[in-house]
Amino acid sequence: MFNRKRALAAVAIATGAAIALAGCAGGSTAEPAATFDPDEEVTLDLAFWGNDVRAELYNEAIAAFNEEYPNITVNATFLAFPEFWEKRQTEAAGGNLPDVMQFDYSYLRQYSENGLLLDLDPYLGEIIETDPLPQNILDIGVVGGVTTGIATSTNAWGMFTNPVLLEQAGVEEFEGGSWEDYTDWMGEVTDGAGGAFWGGGDYTGRIQNFEVQLRAEGSYLFSEDGEPGFDEERLAEFWESGAPIRDGIGIPQQRVEEVAPKGGFDSALTASELTWDNFGAGYLAGLGESYTELGLIAPPITEEGAKDLYLKPSMLHTISANTDHPEAAATLVNFLVNSPESGEIFGTNRGLPASETALAAAELDPLSQQVKDYEASIADRLGDAPPVPIVGYGTLEEKFRQLGTELGFGTVTVDDAVAQFFAEMDVVLNQ
Amino acid sequence: MTTTSTRVIVTGQKSSRRSLLRKERPENLSRPGQRARVRKETLAGYGFLVPWLVGFFGLTIIPMAYSLYLSFTSYNIFSPPKWIGLDNYVRMFTSDPAFIQSAQITLIYVLVGTPITLIAALVVAMLLNYRDKGAGFFRSAFYAPSLIGGSVSVAIVWRAMFSADGPVDNSLSFFGIDLGGWVGNPDLVLPMMILLSVWMFGATMVIFLAGLKQIPKELYEAAEMDGAGPWHRFRAVTIPLLSPVIFFNLLLGLIGAFQVFASAYIISNGSGGPAGMTNFITLYLYKRGFSDGQMGYASAIAWVLLIVVAIIAFVLFRTQKSWVHYSGDNR
Repeated sequence: MFNRKRALAAVAIATGAAIALAGCAGGSTAEPAATFDPDEEVTLDLAFWGNDVRAELYNEAIAAFNEEYPNITVNATFLAFPEFWEKRQTEAAGGNLPDVMQFDYSYLRQYSENGLLLDLDPYLGEIIETDPLPQNILDIGVVGGVTTGIATSTNAWGMFTNPVLLEQAGVEEFEGGSWEDYTDWMGEVTDGAGGAFWGGGDYTGRIQNFEVQLRAEGSYLFSEDGEPGFDEERLAEFWESGAPIRDGIGIPQQRVEEVAPKGGFDSALTASELTWDNFGAGYLAGLGESYTELGLIAPPITEEGAKDLYLKPSMLHTISANTDHPEAAATLVNFLVNSPESGEIFGTNRGLPASETALAAAELDPLSQQVKDYEASIADRLGDAPPVPIVGYGTLEEKFRQLGTELGFGTVTVDDAVAQFFAEMDVVLNQ
Repeated sequence: MTTTSTRVIVTGQKSSRRSLLRKERPENLSRPGQRARVRKETLAGYGFLVPWLVGFFGLTIIPMAYSLYLSFTSYNIFSPPKWIGLDNYVRMFTSDPAFIQSAQITLIYVLVGTPITLIAALVVAMLLNYRDKGAGFFRSAFYAPSLIGGSVSVAIVWRAMFSADGPVDNSLSFFGIDLGGWVGNPDLVLPMMILLSVWMFGATMVIFLAGLKQIPKELYEAAEMDGAGPWHRFRAVTIPLLSPVIFFNLLLGLIGAFQVFASAYIISNGSGGPAGMTNFITLYLYKRGFSDGQMGYASAIAWVLLIVVAIIAFVLFRTQKSWVHYSGDNR
């Protein structure tokens, strides 16, 4: 009896301790091999954001990769953009980011400065070929003198128009001009549509349009040190300029909310939309089979001759700093960025390929050709890219968009919105 | 329950030690093994409790204490937390209109939605209590929404139903009420959310039904003999005898309503829109924590929520005496 009780106690304590300790096991990292050994069996995690269409393309690319490197197993997972970053945030906190990630420019600084991304410099020119990548493309992925990301592709700010709706409204394509001209043109389309659709939406809800105007004036959104290049007055002026669009010319905010997560443009409710020029394929898919082409023209002009536009990486590839297989991961990144197979499979799904070998192999469909021609046509307006976005830029971009929707609903005045944005900036920039 | 058993063991140990020192020494001397046995039993008791204690401390107490600490810091997940004192709390109440709005709509949702849910559940429970034929079917039918109500698919269906030109809009237009879509309208989306929560009254209803079945038929018969009409019977018999169940449902309903998240997240696509009118407090703190990386601020919001819920529960318990009648109570 006495013994049995003691035994029971021992068993109970041991079980409890075992359960407690189970959570603490693991965590040791293997010493990385000096060069990549193609015979080594390796498994890599790959994470990207996108939709079914892109997931299918990634599957094809991985299959092509495996023909060359059969011993590297790639487990790919994908999410929509906001969820993708929520997941990465928690993984970053837990120190288990996926080996290879599709990455967004606005998070590059934050992750790089916190040492979460692998320094790629040792692999440049070795495993990762640099000949097909122009220097200005390579510079995009450099934070604090260290290369942490390789741009897969580039895009530029542009304006899509809907030819079918324009014909219905009986209005010619926007022929270029100032922001006021654009607003007037939207008004004509809205009048011609007779309530069925609108000329566009309130462009002042997007921080990128503000940036284009600031750049034209020789300023910027944020400097490298996170100083804003605008004051309350300038922001108020910008939001005021959208008032006529909010008062009848543009699509009512309520309609926009109802079609979410789609937008007004890909729901055929607006005839124009200012956005990144690689959004065309997604818009065509959203609009359905009756659409085969879209208009793609330059954004309105703030100042003649200003270099207000720039080429931005539409996405990059990065490697987690704590990957067990940096060489294999670098091999995969090189394949996804540079290989002709990758160029052929992705086309412009991820933007216009940044690598010359990938671009040469990409079969450009009419839309992709249009994007390429568009980027050539705005060459005069392309200036230097701004520094890698400040930490917390994503939060500010979202706050800007949110205040834009509230202006659209009329639930906040321009002055209040400006105050709120500056309060948010104060928190984010001093974090 | 387990907490109680822990305490029993501890006090048992203390009292035996005390008794050892004082008068009962002769008895202990007569059984020399007892002291050792008590200690062994205590040890075994703790041993068996270890898995639960690990969970309790590892998953509840320590994370809670840590989040309390984080609420006084600026913490972006990546770099270590920075102590900033009460700044998060000050910011919440002085310079964050989004938080104030979020708190307001959450309070409206809770204070309007919960009583309506309770009344709807009670009415349906009483109807189902009268009719016996087919009652099983109707009980299941009314309970079904609560089974699936929290799920993703239902929120998506509601979104579609209440859009412009959706079934609800069209039906109302047929009667000459032209409201347009509810989902994108800041004035109508909150009523829609309340409607969704009321619609999921099934669990509350089942508990009410069980409570109603407990009320002795004789009481109604006696009241009827005394000439009490249906309303009076309801007021003087049903409500007092059902009051413990009402109290239980009210408490759970209020606490549950404060935690509304999934339906708001799906209906607004995670944005809390239109114009922040579905940005309930849990959704807001989630976005602050995980989208904006302001974990310290999110923790502070969570603690304010916890304190508010605790105060409401406390007040409810205090009012219990004046309106809740437990059987065997002589009041």
